[in-house]
Amino acid sequence: MNHSETTVFVVDDDQAMRTSLQWLIESTGMSVETYASADDFLAHYVPGRAGCLLLDVRMPGMSGLDLQGYLARENYRVPVIIITGHGDVAMAVKAMKAGAADFIEKPFDDEDLLRSIRNALAFDARQRASREACAEVAVRLAELTPREHEVMAMVTEGRANKEIAAALGVSAKTVEAHRARVMEKMRAGSLAELVRMALLAERELSAD
Amino acid sequence: MRITIKPLLFRLLRRVPMPLIAIGVGLTAGLAVWLVLDQIQSRQVGKIFGQELEAQLELRARESLVRFERYLASYSATTRLLANSQRLSEYLEPLFWSRDQTFEPLIYREFRPHWLPDFFARDALLGPSHVLLTDPWGQVREIFQSSDARLPAALATQVPESLYSERTSRALIERVDGRLYLIASDATADAAGYAMGYLLVLVPIDEAFLAASQRGVDVGRAAVALIDASDQEILVSINAEALPSGTRLERWRSTYVITSQPLLEQEGSGSDVRFATFVSQAVVEKMSRHVRLFERRQRGIAALVFILVFTAVIYLVSVRLNKVLRRMTRFSTRALGFAEPGFNRGGNQLVLLEEWIQHFTQLVLAAREEMSRRHQAEMRQSEALKAAMMEASLDAVVTLDQRGRVIEFNPAAEHLLGLRREAALGRVFTEQCVPEAARGRFRHLLDRSQHAHRVSEGRGELVARHSSGAEVPVELSIVPIDLESERVHTLYIHDITERKRAEQEIKGLARFASESPSPILRVTAAGVLVYANSASRTLLVVWGCAPGEPLPAPWRERVVSALASGEQHEEELEAGGQLYSLLFAPIADLGYVNIYARDITAVRRAEQEARQHQAELVHVCRLSTLGEVATGMAHELNQPLSAIVNYANGCIRRLQSGAGEPEALIGALNQVSLQARRASDIIRHLRALVGKQPPVRAQVDLNHLAREVCSFIEFDTHRLDLQIALDLGPDAIPVLVDLVQLEQVVLNLLRNALDALEEVAPERRRLVLRTAVLEGEARVSVEDSGPGIPAERLPTLFDAFVTTKEGGMGMGLAISQTIVENHEGRIWAESTPGCGSIFHIALPLAASAQTTEAPS
Repeated sequence: MNHSETTVFVVDDDQAMRTSLQWLIESTGMSVETYASADDFLAHYVPGRAGCLLLDVRMPGMSGLDLQGYLARENYRVPVIIITGHGDVAMAVKAMKAGAADFIEKPFDDEDLLRSIRNALAFDARQRASREACAEVAVRLAELTPREHEVMAMVTEGRANKEIAAALGVSAKTVEAHRARVMEKMRAGSLAELVRMALLAERELSAD
Repeated sequence: MRITIKPLLFRLLRRVPMPLIAIGVGLTAGLAVWLVLDQIQSRQVGKIFGQELEAQLELRARESLVRFERYLASYSATTRLLANSQRLSEYLEPLFWSRDQTFEPLIYREFRPHWLPDFFARDALLGPSHVLLTDPWGQVREIFQSSDARLPAALATQVPESLYSERTSRALIERVDGRLYLIASDATADAAGYAMGYLLVLVPIDEAFLAASQRGVDVGRAAVALIDASDQEILVSINAEALPSGTRLERWRSTYVITSQPLLEQEGSGSDVRFATFVSQAVVEKMSRHVRLFERRQRGIAALVFILVFTAVIYLVSVRLNKVLRRMTRFSTRALGFAEPGFNRGGNQLVLLEEWIQHFTQLVLAAREEMSRRHQAEMRQSEALKAAMMEASLDAVVTLDQRGRVIEFNPAAEHLLGLRREAALGRVFTEQCVPEAARGRFRHLLDRSQHAHRVSEGRGELVARHSSGAEVPVELSIVPIDLESERVHTLYIHDITERKRAEQEIKGLARFASESPSPILRVTAAGVLVYANSASRTLLVVWGCAPGEPLPAPWRERVVSALASGEQHEEELEAGGQLYSLLFAPIADLGYVNIYARDITAVRRAEQEARQHQAELVHVCRLSTLGEVATGMAHELNQPLSAIVNYANGCIRRLQSGAGEPEALIGALNQVSLQARRASDIIRHLRALVGKQPPVRAQVDLNHLAREVCSFIEFDTHRLDLQIALDLGPDAIPVLVDLVQLEQVVLNLLRNALDALEEVAPERRRLVLRTAVLEGEARVSVEDSGPGIPAERLPTLFDAFVTTKEGGMGMGLAISQTIVENHEGRIWAESTPGCGSIFHIALPLAASAQTTEAPS
């Protein structure tokens, strides 16, 4: 994991909280950016930056939940950790339902906070890798001819060459040739690899 | 002529009074009777009299004849007596006469023989001239000769056979030797019954005989005679001088009326002798004249009587007529309204009467027409009235014919029975409108209504049936009406649903007192209990009295005082562990006092509990408010604490990894100490809020209170990035309050305002807390620039459980109001929707403040 590339964004209206959190998190070597309000954060945030968001629920103006909702709508896939005061469990539940990665209650144990941050960053990294893989698969799929698409779909469904030949009205030899070309174009070493790619593509399609 | 004469006569007749006419008519009639009848009647009477006379004469002649014949018969009878007498039969016993024997008849001249008793004298008959005894062949054997007169030669020896008969006795009139004799004969027999011959008695018929035959009847007027019918000659008469025998009848016919009659039982006689009666013409004439005179006198009397009676009757009639006319005059003037009927002018009453009657008839006809017109008008009016009554009647009116069918049905009936009039007419009422169960009762009422003299008998209550099937209680009155042809019944039906309900309601109301679970009593002015319901038992036990007995003395006095004041008052009484409130309600005009008691034990307890609850609620509410404030404070406290922890942890990690530079660490530790101070400030505030809770009133400066409350919610206001604008009075405003409670109220108002302000943009947020002294009152007001309160919510703003807040109880303002009112103050709100609200609290100034304020 490359720490220099990831950033922990802290949004809290209380200046003491902001600076103390920065002091704590920076002690582990992670880079921290602090913002006094949601609007401030949105003004400086570049979508796609790796990292996670540490968000205070109670804030004047746009509250933490509001910001979370806004990010989700704008499809900014930055993991959000909600910081709540004592007894704001109802708000935490709401935040979790809205897709928050975690919530943490003030005053918090430093280990808990840091673990939660690390998990969120790991999740972000995985998410990014998966998105990159999907994009790769999508690029390769775009290279296939329509007939090769058909052949690939049938192969990944687990059909035999002869079945595919009968269904498409071509000879088994032709199917064999198509199949070899698909494997080549998709750069799949084995049939299992090809199936995984097909599933990845499907998930990406359904996710979008 | 007649045309002119008639009115003339009529005019004349009108002038003459009735009695005069009557007399005139009577006289004329009498005269006419006299003149006309005299001629006719005299003749007629003469004729009748002639016939009568003839019949009279005939009768007299017949009577004479009958007498004569009876006289002859006497002789015949006497002869039979002699012929069959014992003496004669005894005398004849020894005798025997033979036919051939010659003999000389034996003549008795000087004496009467033994066999001939003098029966003639005894019977007042003229003695016979001769009595002969003959043998069966008619030869004369013995002769008795009463006088010197010789036996007629024709009979001297032999008696002709025609003069006797073997079978019967005979009496014949015979002319013998120119003289008339009565010859009576009978057969004789001796004692042994042997027929000896005949006994013949000869009596000469002469003047004396005829006179004897008439036995002294006056012959002066009428004479009798025997005549020879063939010769028309008198043979012998009763009066030889006047009517000598041998004279012819022609000679006497001018002077006598002659009636000749044949004699009976003279068939055997050879001579044609008839019996004649002579009546002198003069006598007849005299009688006739007498009769005529008498008759004429009678006619005269009759005529006179006729005139008198006629006149009298007419006079009387005219008198009566006069009276009648006078009455009619009065009647005409009074009843009929003739101004001048004109009956007083005299004249012929009949004509007047006729005129009057004519006039009267016209008047009566006119009056009748008028009456008929009026009657019709009245009928129409009455019909219209009746129809109007029927239409307008609130009661249903139904008329039934004899068979119970509807012939009249008014709108009220339509409404009551739900039946159109057209549909009801002709139907049988009971089938249509009376439920089966009530029909018997209906018939009973109908029967009772027949007793016309008992008016109320046809009345009663009944259930009628509406066409929808619903049953309607009604009061029914049946009135029979006798029409010419039949008897109909009119039913008056009154819907008593309402009344029934009202009755039930009244009954129900009457039960109020007795059913009331609270004691109700009535006491007289003298304090005697007259009524107590069952719920009063406990009271009565405590008082130790029962209805009819006087109340205990102190309560009697209260009754008297209640009556005297005339106003209600309440007293409390503890009885049997229960607390009662007694309401004394005097009824002055009846001299009673009604006592309404209430068991107020539970009420008192509830009041107490309510007070307690309210206190608890205030407390709970305050805790709740404080809780909220405390939550805010706790959150705030979290901030410095969390910051401290973070700084501390950050330092530790840096020191452990050895990466910590002293300058950086010192800065962090400075932060730690700063944040700790911040936390300690917060805790100080919290203690200030929670620590002050003395539940007693004390004099407090309102400005101080305001500042303190502001400090409690500093954190909230800070969060909202807001500053509370304090607009406080220049001097201290002392009020006597429970500080904690009043702080709670103001805090509540401020928190509400903050909530309201959250809803508006930050730049528009404004919150003002004011204190002032206005109109002798201490005022606190909280003004915000929130969205305001809709006008329709203002009136219920201070009610409990009214809230707009999510999760709010709606108790805040209600409790605030309770607290302020407990402090004899007021709380109210003003609001302009869209611009904000102001909440005001007014409290009385503390007494010391008022005194101290006065000089300044």
